[in-house]
Amino acid sequence: MSSDSLSATFAALADPTRRAILARLISGETSVTKLAEPFQMSLPAISKHLKVLERAGLIARGREAQWRPSRLEAGRLKEVADWLEHYRRFWDESFDRLDAHLRELQAQQKQQHRKQTREKKHVRTKKHL
Amino acid sequence: MSEQRNTSEGQAAKRELVITRIFDAPRELVWQAWTDPKQLVKWWGPKNFTAPVAKIDLRVGGKYLYCMRSPEGHDYWSTGIYREVIPPERLVCTDSFADADGNVVPASHYGLGEDFPLEMQVTITFEDVAGKTKMTLKHVGLPESMSDMTNTGWNESFDKLAESLQ
Repeated sequence: MSSDSLSATFAALADPTRRAILARLISGETSVTKLAEPFQMSLPAISKHLKVLERAGLIARGREAQWRPSRLEAGRLKEVADWLEHYRRFWDESFDRLDAHLRELQAQQKQQHRKQTREKKHVRTKKHL
Repeated sequence: MSEQRNTSEGQAAKRELVITRIFDAPRELVWQAWTDPKQLVKWWGPKNFTAPVAKIDLRVGGKYLYCMRSPEGHDYWSTGIYREVIPPERLVCTDSFADADGNVVPASHYGLGEDFPLEMQVTITFEDVAGKTKMTLKHVGLPESMSDMTNTGWNESFDKLAESLQ
């Protein structure tokens, strides 16, 4: 699982049409045409939704060029439904960023400290003169 | 007696998440990163997310409200109440999904599974380890929440699905 998959999943599930598509796929593999039927939407629009779901790993699509049937990826969906797994990834990714933030903050402080020390030295040298 | 304890321990294990991290920074700094809204927005949320809003009323009984934004522009709000505030050692707060006004909403509001508890509790402890900070986060789903009432919906569908795939 790549580290930004969580954001792809979030985005995929945020849309009601895509959730409805997932619910329909529970009953089995379905073609794009069939999936489009209950929605007032063009085939390209549905295809776009399917692409988002596929990228999030929530569905897989057949290779047949004519009717690329979509099916649910059960494992991924189970993971999304498991709130502990969801939060473990949320925290892990947030803490990676916290780690980077703390490093940057300390580097800045060090730099500032160095600058101040330099300025003090400068003042002292001036006094000497 | 002992059996009962085992059961509750089993349930606790299922509902609890513990994460430990060592940060190469003094704990005062790590504490500030958690409690200063200007700093929190710099790291809150998964990779590629931003945090456009963080409001923090840091006192026991005080509230927080955070918003994180996905790369696609979806906003996810969360809120909670501070239960313990002991700088720079320990922070305990509740945690729930929220709307932009800070009202608690179920996770299904954001299209997430119905087994998410409505309210969770987060306990963060900060230990000094030779100038570095060992941070331990405990995330617990509180009982008397939605998870006990509605474990159907998505989960039921997943069970069916899992069966059909066997």
